[in-house]
Amino acid sequence: MATVPETTVESAVSLRDVRRRYDRGEPVDALAGVSLDLPRGSYTAVMGPSGSGKSTLMNVVGLLDTPTDGAVTIGGTDASSLSESERARVRGAEVGFVFQTFNLMPRLTALDNVALPMVFAGVPRPERRERARRLLERVGLGDRLDHLPNELSGGQRQRVAIARALANDPAILLADEPTGNLDSATSDAVLALFDELHTEGNTVLLVTHERAVAEHAERIVHVLDGRVERVETLRR
Amino acid sequence: MDLGESVGMSLSAIRGHKLRSGLTVLGVVIGITAVITFVTLGGSLQAGLVGDLGGEGASNVNVWSSPTEVSGPPGAGAQPVFTDRDVRELDRQQDVRQVVARGTVRLSTVSDGNDTVALQQATAYGRSYFAPDDLREGRSFRQGADEAVLNPAAAALFEDELRAGDTLTLALEDGREVDVRVVGVLDTSTAQDPFEGFTQGPRVYLPTDPFYERVVTGPTSGDPERVYQTLFVIADGPEQVGGVRERTLTYLAEESDAATLVAPNVEFVAQTNEQLLDQVRDILDTLTAFVTGVAVISLVVGAIGIANIMLVSVTERTREIGIMKAVGARDRDVLGVFLTEAAVLGVVGAAVGTVAGLAVGYAGTVFVDLPFVVPWEWGVVAVVVGVLVGVVSGLYPAWNAARTDPIDALRYE
Repeated sequence: MATVPETTVESAVSLRDVRRRYDRGEPVDALAGVSLDLPRGSYTAVMGPSGSGKSTLMNVVGLLDTPTDGAVTIGGTDASSLSESERARVRGAEVGFVFQTFNLMPRLTALDNVALPMVFAGVPRPERRERARRLLERVGLGDRLDHLPNELSGGQRQRVAIARALANDPAILLADEPTGNLDSATSDAVLALFDELHTEGNTVLLVTHERAVAEHAERIVHVLDGRVERVETLRR
Repeated sequence: MDLGESVGMSLSAIRGHKLRSGLTVLGVVIGITAVITFVTLGGSLQAGLVGDLGGEGASNVNVWSSPTEVSGPPGAGAQPVFTDRDVRELDRQQDVRQVVARGTVRLSTVSDGNDTVALQQATAYGRSYFAPDDLREGRSFRQGADEAVLNPAAAALFEDELRAGDTLTLALEDGREVDVRVVGVLDTSTAQDPFEGFTQGPRVYLPTDPFYERVVTGPTSGDPERVYQTLFVIADGPEQVGGVRERTLTYLAEESDAATLVAPNVEFVAQTNEQLLDQVRDILDTLTAFVTGVAVISLVVGAIGIANIMLVSVTERTREIGIMKAVGARDRDVLGVFLTEAAVLGVVGAAVGTVAGLAVGYAGTVFVDLPFVVPWEWGVVAVVVGVLVGVVSGLYPAWNAARTDPIDALRYE
């Protein structure tokens, strides 16, 4: 078990002894005391077998789930004391989700999908369209602004999702099996994009069960039975 | 999240399911169509009557006798009691411009050569009655002449449509036949006086002299005199009409032949056209309340339809709700998106219903030959009702959507 790291101002995300208990007939500890510190600009992968608690960890870091116990700090904000609606606001501002199944709004164009987080953040329309356009250009889709998701390939959809995750300049990019639905060539391109984003200073947390994918990160957190089993630092 | 954004998202969601959305709003469309059609027709009918009875008719007092237990349209139960002397005496009253007697002449048929059609009665007026403006062609009849004026529906009864100058044979109820010259055709088949009702049937108009033949021995004069069922006492102007009505009733009660001739339990009725309009308005108000009741039922059904389809829509879009929450939507944003969508459905239904109602109402006014009046204030009411129906029916589904757990929603297949 890893030692409990000190929370520093440099942390994008910090978990302190986080527990998450589900009551399904009998109590199950999906997270049984996890402490984790993600420094700003770091690239971390989370690996673990199914049922290890890595999904719950993602949900807690992304403020979709609330810990039964323990503290979560994200972008300098202590999330444990927030109301539901404040958590939604912080989630929109500080967390950028990238999902295995892309999760784009099917009836919105690529541009509107990327602009959506800015809609809820209250960014004025001209400004968010301009920023969405620049983000789509950044991920190489400057010529697909007005395409609907079903008019795009899997790799292109995931690029739109990544652009959307960057919309509000979040403290952390949370990628849950981002290459799980892509062929290997497309996967490589998407992972190369994450590498670039990391190089540009973004903080990335990537959940995967593939060693090859996890090795793009600076370190790998191995999770088992709701605990951090070990943290592996990679040298490149 | 601002309203424009919600409306935009709603419209794209609705466009995604055109047929379903269309069927969903059908209840609202039908309810609103019914009300708008009816208020259009009602308003147009009123405007038509105001046009007919208001303008120059505003100076008229319509007089008839009616058994006290009879209620109904103007002239219901009218008995022939007003003598020629009564007409002359009323004509001399203060502020009275003229008095026009009206009676019906019983017929069996009318013929144009060998072309015979059944017609039960003709309307007889004292004086020439019709102004040149009322006539499509020819002139009004003259008293004492064998002349007739037809409305367009009557002129069209015959194979060769009758024109001014043609000759018509009237078969009277008692079997006699009289030839009359058609001297004029009216420009419309609508009612020419308040006693004719609102139908547009064929009508033949005659001078009382010589065609109206109900005669009694005048109680005052002792000579044979015609007796009429109804009179129009026309005041010098609309301002005098109230006083003329009072004096008419006083005369009828105290000095008239009619007071002698009238049966017991029959009273005189003198009604201004304004009073008539009030009666029509009362009837219309009652009908409007009834149609509104029917429409409310339709709107309730419509609201249930919208609520149902919104519940389906929320379930179908569970994953989208998860996405919205993942990118920072608060519960009230999600609530707003779905409420807006329900409200938009309601407004679209109301708008379509309003247009359809106006179209049906317009067709109705053309058919019955009434002026078309657009009930603007009801258009506003319809849209407000549409929003209300949408919001009320969308509340529960939207609340369901808002409290969806984003983790489950993102996993939803």
